[in-house]
Amino acid sequence: MLEVKNLRASYGGSLVLQGVDMAVPKGHIVAIMGRNGMGKTTLMRSMVGLIRSLSGQVLFDGEDIIGLAPHRISNLGISYVPQGKEIFQSFTVLENLRLGVVKFQKKDRALPQEIFHYFPILEERSNQKAGSFSGGEQQMLAIARALVSNPKLLLLDEPSEGIQPSIVKEIGEILIKINREKGVTILLVEQNVDLVLDISNECFFIEKGMIVNRSTTDHLRKDDTLINQYLSL
Amino acid sequence: MDFSSLMIQVLNGFDLILILILVAIGLVIIYGLMEVINIAHGEFFLLGAYTVVIAQQWGLHFWIGMILSLIVVGFIGLAIEFLCIRRLYERPLDTILATWGISIGIKQFIIIVCGPAGQVVHTPFAASVIFLGIEYPVYRLFTMAASIAVITLTLYIFLRTDFGLQARAVIANRNMSSVLGINTRKMYRTTFIFGSALAGLAGGIMSPLMSVDPQMGLGYLVPAFLAIILGGVGSLYGVLWGGSIIGGADSIFSYLISPVGAQIIVFSIAVVLIRLRPQGILGKKS
Repeated sequence: MLEVKNLRASYGGSLVLQGVDMAVPKGHIVAIMGRNGMGKTTLMRSMVGLIRSLSGQVLFDGEDIIGLAPHRISNLGISYVPQGKEIFQSFTVLENLRLGVVKFQKKDRALPQEIFHYFPILEERSNQKAGSFSGGEQQMLAIARALVSNPKLLLLDEPSEGIQPSIVKEIGEILIKINREKGVTILLVEQNVDLVLDISNECFFIEKGMIVNRSTTDHLRKDDTLINQYLSL
Repeated sequence: MDFSSLMIQVLNGFDLILILILVAIGLVIIYGLMEVINIAHGEFFLLGAYTVVIAQQWGLHFWIGMILSLIVVGFIGLAIEFLCIRRLYERPLDTILATWGISIGIKQFIIIVCGPAGQVVHTPFAASVIFLGIEYPVYRLFTMAASIAVITLTLYIFLRTDFGLQARAVIANRNMSSVLGINTRKMYRTTFIFGSALAGLAGGIMSPLMSVDPQMGLGYLVPAFLAIILGGVGSLYGVLWGGSIIGGADSIFSYLISPVGAQIIVFSIAVVLIRLRPQGILGKKS
């Protein structure tokens, strides 16, 4: 579904991605792990068009999406939950959700009601200002906003950051359900080992802007050598 | 003082408030929301008025001229956005210089085409009518109704429609809006055109009430900015407060003291209020 080939990108004047190669098969949940400053967020932002890459390819269903404007990439069926959630704080919960579907033609803008089955809290508090939500609730809103457009691929940038462990676990369970029931392919970058081991099928390790290792999650559950090597400080 | 002259003063006061908000509402979008400090906004207003003047000279009906004022200035807004403003969205201070230049250009263009003298626009209305027991100019009643309609419609569009939601989202967080699939460049352009067209329409509506001349824009630009800053930059409802305070105080003190005295008092009130509440009445602390 998603294939990254020799992707190079710079951010803030330095070459952050030095040739990333990886692939995400359809229907899988794939994680990218690595320490801070290794290029995880730059990789995500390059894939959604927010950072111009220097060279390389990002193939989505066989089409090279490098160089496309962010709104065009979004319209192909890629949804993105950025680091820090970027919820519209002064808008209502419902308005935030609607922003997930306004890219469609008028007749296709109905909010899929099943989203409230995954996130019941959003229905109860739909008229509340999103800024009044806790960090975990805002993360749920950001994920829901990304899902209302029924994307093929969901990109998540550190969904566990700054969120209490019980909510992280809950979010992980919801992501698994969405992946199984809706067939949404998920790619996330994370430093939270528990979340990655809970939900992903496969894991890539990123270091200094390159994918340096990969492993099935089943293997990582038994043997944490790779995790210790690429994540401990 | 008898009842009828008091009524006239009250109606005049409401008229002034509504006109002020009508003129400011386009600027609320361009300056208040998009943070483009549009010095040429008064000239958009002026171009709307001149559109009605020229339409009248061509023998077109008054109402057609008014509709044209909306369309013509909307297109001028499109051209200015495309040629200039779109490069300056992240640089509010630079927009001052750019739009100041545009303002001078438009004024001189009008002087070349229409001459420096004031022009008169005729309305299809009878001069005055008995309203609430007093004789009052029909056209002023129309401007009040038109202002209320335009203000209500603008607030509705921005706060209740998907277009308004997208516009507010793009202005609040351009990157996030783009990854949500919104064409942000197109959204900025449409919003700027919307604000420009509103300024043009305000000029068209106001044209029969004033001498239409190349300097008429400035007199409305300053109070419009003041109303927005007083109400709170970034708040759509704020201009209702700002416009009411400035317009209301102006008409009350013009009546009690003199128009010049009223100006001094209005500016003093604005200075004190902004000192006490720099973010404006409805603005949030940053």
